[in-house]
Amino acid sequence: MSVLADKNTRVLIQGITGIQAAFHVKKSMQGGTNVVCGTSPKHGGETHLGVPVFNNVAEARRSCKFDASVLFVPAQALKHAVREAVEAEIPLIVSIADGVPVHDMLEIKAMLNGSKTLMIGPNTPGLITPEEARLGIFPENIHHKGKIGIVSRASTLTYEAVLETNTVNMGQSTVIGLGDDLIIGTDFRPVLGKFMEDDETKAVVLIGKANSSYEQMAAEYYAGLANKKPVIAFIAGESLPYGYTMGYAMDIVTHGRVTVADKKKIMQQAGMIVVDSMNDVHQTLLDLKL
Amino acid sequence: MNIHEYQAKKVLEQYGINVPAGGIAYTPAEAKRVAQKLSSRGPWVLKAQIQAGARASGRFIEHEAGHKGGVRHVTQITKIAYETAQMLNNTLVTDQTESHGRLVSKVYVETFQNVKHLFYAGMVIDSSISSITLLISEVIDERIEQIVEVQYDKILRIPLKFDASISDKQIMQILDFLSLDKCYLQSFHDFFGKLLFTFINLDAQMIEINPVGILPDKKLVALDAKINFDDNALFRHPDIVRMHDDFEEDIRELRAYRSGFHYYDFGEGNIGCIVNGEGLALEALDIIKAKGFSPACALNVKGGVDKDKIADGIKLIMTNPRVEGIVINILGGFLRCNLIADGILSASQDVGLNMPLVVRFEGTNKDMARAILEESNFQVLFADNMNEAVDKLIEQMEVND
Repeated sequence: MSVLADKNTRVLIQGITGIQAAFHVKKSMQGGTNVVCGTSPKHGGETHLGVPVFNNVAEARRSCKFDASVLFVPAQALKHAVREAVEAEIPLIVSIADGVPVHDMLEIKAMLNGSKTLMIGPNTPGLITPEEARLGIFPENIHHKGKIGIVSRASTLTYEAVLETNTVNMGQSTVIGLGDDLIIGTDFRPVLGKFMEDDETKAVVLIGKANSSYEQMAAEYYAGLANKKPVIAFIAGESLPYGYTMGYAMDIVTHGRVTVADKKKIMQQAGMIVVDSMNDVHQTLLDLKL
Repeated sequence: MNIHEYQAKKVLEQYGINVPAGGIAYTPAEAKRVAQKLSSRGPWVLKAQIQAGARASGRFIEHEAGHKGGVRHVTQITKIAYETAQMLNNTLVTDQTESHGRLVSKVYVETFQNVKHLFYAGMVIDSSISSITLLISEVIDERIEQIVEVQYDKILRIPLKFDASISDKQIMQILDFLSLDKCYLQSFHDFFGKLLFTFINLDAQMIEINPVGILPDKKLVALDAKINFDDNALFRHPDIVRMHDDFEEDIRELRAYRSGFHYYDFGEGNIGCIVNGEGLALEALDIIKAKGFSPACALNVKGGVDKDKIADGIKLIMTNPRVEGIVINILGGFLRCNLIADGILSASQDVGLNMPLVVRFEGTNKDMARAILEESNFQVLFADNMNEAVDKLIEQMEVND
């Protein structure tokens, strides 16, 4: 097994006729991802990449069955695309869009709240279950099927974590980029929960960042879990001057001073294994004797 | 994106929020004319327009600017031109500017407001609850980050609904917190309702009114104004984009931004970093610092597809006068490593690079990228991971010393 998506997951592509979609969806399909149909306004009735195209999600819903959607739509159109997906009650959606207005995310979070949809992203390479399903734009040649779950708030560091698991031949069960933005569709908690229930996943690598509260929320959640698997946590940005805004720093204002050192302590107290460098991850995995 | 106080006040005024009457001046004579137009008797307030706070307690570097700060209370019309002349074209240093300060090129002239009560009001986005949050404090003229650190409980926080107005109950909460009578209910309701509307309508990330004043007729007035807009939403606000003041930006940050990249200057250090992704930038900084060295600047070329733009970005790092060595870490996915290799060659030919450079390529087209650099005569070292890259760079920099 794996989490959220596997070879049986039927995938819809919203915005299938775009150039980026064509390039990446083709690669995903070659790797075994079960893409069943796509949407694109005014392209209904056409066939792209060998699958039928519909004008919108509601139309696609009437003729096709799917469990997940990858949104290859630009940031400015994301709000509308998410609304369509939520209304069609798609259980999982992945958005790779970069540059989504933060107020649009406030609206999107309100739509997701109480809905049947779990949203990964935006501003993420997506989600990949090696050899089974690639929902997004992850470089497919670095991933190997295996037993480590990876969940990350720093897109490019996700690749570093993958390489670390590769050096010790442990591979990945599923790799999930939550997105680099201030507001993200899903935080660590639901994903950690899924990894804890997944038989194939033996340990989890969690990558967080300075300047947000998501890491503390993950620690609190993990502390309360009855059945825990080991979680190796890394927080990027320890050397940044406190309050330096590489991106956003609003949570400092609303939640008070929490430095990376404080964060690490909170995560340690919750039972996570905190490492100081990404390069420490592979040795830590070996030490776990999984 | 930030705008100046005088622009922010104009924006607030358009949304019906009360601000003192004022006008902008670029010369002492202009300041005098504005002051005369505003009021025949004064007093007036002269405010240096730089995009940084704590101006009142700031000091000018130049002697001719006198000993006063960047906010000056003037009671005689004859003194307006003199005080303005002291500030214009001089450099103001405050707690919130860089140590070399900011050049004052314009002064805002306002009528002085007689107020009986002052407080701080801010609106920000709290990502942990995905909500706009109103901040109220009695501590004024201080940076909210500092208040948070030492006096966390001196701030009232009220989460606001994105699609709803502010309730009477929430306004009562504010009045209670400020120990004010409920006779202010109407004017507070009016003020904060308009402020929230402004925030939502303009895609603001932060609005700070530090301070808000209460006038004798119970109305509220914004005595200062700071608005930060979401860069990602500027496509919806061409009128706001036109307010951008290029002179307030670091030239390298501005040029990187125009190329679609992010450039960060850390104000010290001697190692330049080029990466693709914020996470990699943070990792680079952490590793460099852990080895006892100091990063000077970082360029994030995430999403780069244009060879010339990438070369321009790399030049920004190469020409930073503090940089003595460069480390490049690219994990190619969307971005192809060979574009970076081409960019390095083209940039170094343009500026004549004479410092060590270590590259780590991983992912899309990494072998092609390495071949491009190896086939050129360009001196470059390769590494398999970031740790090794920084070690190699430091070794080379020490050899050069």
